[in-house]
Amino acid sequence: MAKNPDLEEGRVSLFDADFARCPQPVYAALRDHCPVSRALLTGAPVVSRYHDVMWALRQPEIFSSAMEMQLALGTDRPMIPQQIDPPEQTRYRRLLDPHFSRRKMEELVPAIRAEADALIDRFEKNGEVEFNEAFAVPLPCSAFLSLLGLPHSDLDFFLGLKDGIIRPQKTHPEEFEGLSGVESMEKGKEMRSASGRKIYEYFEAVIDDRTAKKRDDLMTRLVHAEIEGEKLSREEILDICFLLLLAGLDTVTATVGCNIAYLADNPEQRRRIVADPGLIPGAVEELLRWETPVTAVPRVVKKDVEIRGFQLKEGDLVTLLLGAANIDDEHFEGAEAVDFERGRNIHLSFGGGPHRCLGSHLARMELQVAMEEWHRRIPEYRIREGETPRYSPGIREVMYLPLTWEPGSRS
Amino acid sequence: MKLRVDLVKCVGHGRCYVLAPDLFEEDERGHCVVLHEEVPGDLLGQARLGEENCPEGAISLQED
Repeated sequence: MAKNPDLEEGRVSLFDADFARCPQPVYAALRDHCPVSRALLTGAPVVSRYHDVMWALRQPEIFSSAMEMQLALGTDRPMIPQQIDPPEQTRYRRLLDPHFSRRKMEELVPAIRAEADALIDRFEKNGEVEFNEAFAVPLPCSAFLSLLGLPHSDLDFFLGLKDGIIRPQKTHPEEFEGLSGVESMEKGKEMRSASGRKIYEYFEAVIDDRTAKKRDDLMTRLVHAEIEGEKLSREEILDICFLLLLAGLDTVTATVGCNIAYLADNPEQRRRIVADPGLIPGAVEELLRWETPVTAVPRVVKKDVEIRGFQLKEGDLVTLLLGAANIDDEHFEGAEAVDFERGRNIHLSFGGGPHRCLGSHLARMELQVAMEEWHRRIPEYRIREGETPRYSPGIREVMYLPLTWEPGSRS
Repeated sequence: MKLRVDLVKCVGHGRCYVLAPDLFEEDERGHCVVLHEEVPGDLLGQARLGEENCPEGAISLQED
């Protein structure tokens, strides 16, 4: 496609490399000229204005999260609570929310700070690193293991499984060699299922262990938790674990990567947070807004509804473009400026309404700790000369982010 | 000035108790609890910050 978005046709491509690297101009064009567009290829409606996105997020009876296509992620059943609607979803959130509250997440700070430090120890003296693989990928996985109470020796096992589900083509390119488009899709599905099986098996064993012996961890609390006097079934626990694994790792990896890539590219902004680490919480919020690493969330339309004259039909799979909503100038003053001291920041990077990201307090804590530790240890860094970071579409993970610095430059 | 939270709208983003900790607290689920319905004069800035940063528009600050 030559133009993105193609305003005459009302089409937008959300899955090309240019969009993944720099989506803001596309968002601005949609915001100004095409508040409801259609996705290239699928023709699915794409909603871009803040007001409309927020409205849809708050109407689960019209915009449902229960969709068959998401089962394509290697699960046998919907993930809990992300892929089910209220009122059942509400029961699970009542149970899960206390385990993901800000207060609870604070308890994990020392472990995550130590992990961030240990990761940096491995490469600080080299003066260069590929940031994604060395830092952005392992840190959230380590936090996940700490949270659930799983051994850190399982880190590589989890990373392999997660990639096997989210991007099998990257981890096992040899399996896809010479296959046609349709064959590749089939192969991907087969590999996702195989990884899904291993995840189920792993957590089955953990459930058995915590049933036999209580420990002080989230897995034990899930195994022994009750909703209205009834224990969670084994399947329910598995469906929750699946969500925590798939939703909790890539999203934070992508966000840490987007943040550091932005700061490597904008040295004045970086120096400001190095000089005053008190700006970090505001910087984390503002970069969540500006970068919106999770660009969109899907919903299924349950009954015909109109948005700005655009007819949505029952059964339509709608894309709510969080990234575009986050630069809507009706809701953000100076929406296209990056301001770490923005007074009002009601970004939708964690969604909104009943499905507000369960892990938002965990994510914020991880991001703040990562930013603090990184800039304390490596305050001056840049993208290696002649290199360009590579972003993946969908969730904007910075798959390749080569950084350099002067070793021992810590102030 | 009076501070109110609509607990039907609150979904636990937690911006209020992070940005305005003298006026808001979190309950067990991480949802909003108002500490002072009647806002002391010196906390008016915090009250406004909490109100305007709620993505759900659940917090209101009104004249007595």
